[in-house]
Amino acid sequence: MTEAEVEDKRITLAEAAKKVSDEDTLFWGGFGYQRPPIAFSHELVRQKKRNLTVYTCGSEVDLEIMAGAGVVYRYEIAFSAIEALGLSNNIRRRVSEGALQVEDYTNLAMAMRFLGGALNVPFMPLRSMMGTDMVRLSRYRGDDKLKVIDCPFTGEKLTVVPSLKPDFSIVHVQRVDKTGNAQIDGIVGEDIEGSRCGKKLIVLAEEIIDEEEVRTRPDQTKIPAMYVDHVVVLPFIAHPMMCHGYYDYDLEHLMMFHKLTQTEEGWQEYLNGYILGVEDHYGYLDLVGWPRLQQLKAKKPWGY
Amino acid sequence: MVEYSKTEFLIACASSHVRDGENVFGGTGMPLLAALLAKQTHAPRSNLISEAGFIDARPREVPLSVADTRYYYGCSASLGLIETLGFLLQGGRIDVGFLGAAQIDEYGNLNTSYIGPYDKPKVKLPGSGGGNDIASSAKRLIIMMSHDKRKFVKDLDYMTSPGHLEGPGSREKWSMVGNGPEVVITDMCQMDFEPETLKIRLKSVHPGYTVQQIVDNVMFDLLVPDEIPATAEPSQEQLDIMHKLDPKGIYLGKGA
Repeated sequence: MTEAEVEDKRITLAEAAKKVSDEDTLFWGGFGYQRPPIAFSHELVRQKKRNLTVYTCGSEVDLEIMAGAGVVYRYEIAFSAIEALGLSNNIRRRVSEGALQVEDYTNLAMAMRFLGGALNVPFMPLRSMMGTDMVRLSRYRGDDKLKVIDCPFTGEKLTVVPSLKPDFSIVHVQRVDKTGNAQIDGIVGEDIEGSRCGKKLIVLAEEIIDEEEVRTRPDQTKIPAMYVDHVVVLPFIAHPMMCHGYYDYDLEHLMMFHKLTQTEEGWQEYLNGYILGVEDHYGYLDLVGWPRLQQLKAKKPWGY
Repeated sequence: MVEYSKTEFLIACASSHVRDGENVFGGTGMPLLAALLAKQTHAPRSNLISEAGFIDARPREVPLSVADTRYYYGCSASLGLIETLGFLLQGGRIDVGFLGAAQIDEYGNLNTSYIGPYDKPKVKLPGSGGGNDIASSAKRLIIMMSHDKRKFVKDLDYMTSPGHLEGPGSREKWSMVGNGPEVVITDMCQMDFEPETLKIRLKSVHPGYTVQQIVDNVMFDLLVPDEIPATAEPSQEQLDIMHKLDPKGIYLGKGA
């Protein structure tokens, strides 16, 4: 019997970002401080992408970066802030300037929109948002933001939200093999649905493992290879946020980022220093400093 | 007499509203410490859940994000959003949720989205997150606000999350799973909702404040009953536990 040749889906971060065209729509993975694909947002900025639309529940620093650098012009999201640190300053400024439009949903509504896309049905029902301005007011989506209907079976009021099938799903995981079997530790956020709703899926991972290792813990494979188009392997993809079991957030960097974004000048300084001022992700990590990155490495058994 | 900071007082006050055996969405900040304090005192069988996916969490350090890995170690299950906001919350299994807001109106409706007109907002706030989901579907809602005239308004700039909407019958009209806000805790007082009209009513006054101060800092007609008790003060035991939960003073502040 001959061994079947397996496809190696690995490409570089720059190659992955090149696949995204101006005007494309993206599902954006991670949740809160956990597993945001920050390195991918940096590369989209370096490649000067424009007019992207990003769908997610609520990433934080990455949404700030893409809004600040003018990469996105539309967000369909539930949340923007740096949670305990405060408001998202770049998004706030870009919205006031009219450069960015935010179509507001709730976390559950966005998760249901990804689930609907993954299930290949055009809409999904839920019980949130009714009676509020989230139903009454919309931006570019107009009447297609959502609808409140009478359930055809019970007559109850329900909100229905349009499913999403973006051009790309961008998801950051802990481990992957070269064929794309992707393992997530800790919480999954909305990444199960999100990874299955896009037309193409790019998985970014901290670590490459052998397929044999995947097969010793198949329950950890949250995204089987059959969904995955491209794989990018790099360390510290989520810095200054966290990656469960791999590294903690860099609170000092995060506070510096949040403070700088309070003014346009401060944000430009960060953008030119940490993103445009470096060649690639390794350049960014060199600038942050390896001794500091080592300190952030997760300790057992805590996972941070 | 026990000495306490304003933050410590509010955490103890919020904690008193969590009942034993309840499933609680704790979030971060003061509500998280309130839920943890309740579990260590009068509600040992309460179940702290983070909307990001952590079930029955017992964090040894305070999380800064609902998705913080600090929520992970020692929790009983680590799942995802469809699980927490869908199966648990929309499934009618969450007893208590905590929310804050930039503006509240007399029916307990909340704005966490925009200050200024929607078409040309002055300030873009965080938005709903899971807030509207929680306000729609948690059995009870505890609201924590700073007491300020600009926040207790007649008309919200934007209604993000439902309180009692337009009053009696309006939540029923939308087949809402939850029963809406039960209490509003500010730095001056506690308020509840008058059962007939579902309008905000003064419930208790915190030590050091007067009814007049409270009424002066609200833009609508606040219902004021004849008898208004003082809010209970925290015990030394509650303060000690709080500081064990947050030894670095991340939410409690460095002072104490």
